[in-house]
Amino acid sequence: MEHPILFISVILQSLGMPVPHGPVGDTLLAKLVSPHMTYTWLVMLFLIIVPKLTLGTMSLVPGKGQNFWEVIIGGLEGFMADNMGKEGARMMFPMLATFALYILVANMIGLMPGFMSPTSNLNITVACTLIVFFTTHILGVKFHGIGYVKHFLGPIPWLIPLMLPIELISHFARILSLSIRLFGNIMAKETLLGILFMLAGAYFAPLPILCLGVFVSIVQALVFLLLSILYFSAAMEHAH
Amino acid sequence: MSSNRKDTLRLLAHFSTVGMTVAFSIFIGVGIGYYLDHKVFGGRTSPWLTLIFLGFGVAAAFKNLYDMANRKDL
Repeated sequence: MEHPILFISVILQSLGMPVPHGPVGDTLLAKLVSPHMTYTWLVMLFLIIVPKLTLGTMSLVPGKGQNFWEVIIGGLEGFMADNMGKEGARMMFPMLATFALYILVANMIGLMPGFMSPTSNLNITVACTLIVFFTTHILGVKFHGIGYVKHFLGPIPWLIPLMLPIELISHFARILSLSIRLFGNIMAKETLLGILFMLAGAYFAPLPILCLGVFVSIVQALVFLLLSILYFSAAMEHAH
Repeated sequence: MSSNRKDTLRLLAHFSTVGMTVAFSIFIGVGIGYYLDHKVFGGRTSPWLTLIFLGFGVAAAFKNLYDMANRKDL
């Protein structure tokens, strides 16, 4: 298959940077300029600069830009408040909204030629998932103290030797399922688009997949957000 | 979005994890068993811990299914 042309990699390569041709480079510099890193920084820059530009000055009667962002932020907060209660939503909002917006933009950016989805690399999704995983347990300890252990012990005392490994395994399965679902969906989208562009790009063959790609991007970002919310609220509520 | 559709979306997201969780639970069980057998005990206990933790993995998968079937808010 032909290698996709990623414009940041091309620019960096002409500047003399050792852009790796495989997924991950060898040296630290090669790791830093590998495509998923540079496109992550592009998405971060996008998410920092575009709201700054469109928001303008905040006013009581919102203009166009402020209205748009208020709808997005208000919708996200309402969505979270529905699923984990108002208090939890207010506490976890900065982190989860960051994840949702980042993953949404990172998924969508791969639909443009010359760009790549950072989330089509397993490293990025595992990083997101590990943050969610550790935050879940930190929240559990914060809300229940040492009694958080009860979440892992099951309801019946003499079944503890059986339940403890089972609960631990199902908690570790969350890391895998959360990260590999996002990675797999987005990687499939990217690969399919690449193959269709190569085979019949002149006849608009990738067009249906582009439409599906928008759908998949939104759904996967929502699913990641929703599952993080479910894990957080499960850690915050009492053991059954 | 009406609350009915929102509920459908939430449940869809929740149930789309079922198949993956089953597969990954079993894989993680086998992985832990294999690690204990070959790295911690140096192959002396060779097939047994892998098999025992495979059992734990399958049990975890089914417990997940059972919990999901037992949910009160469906």
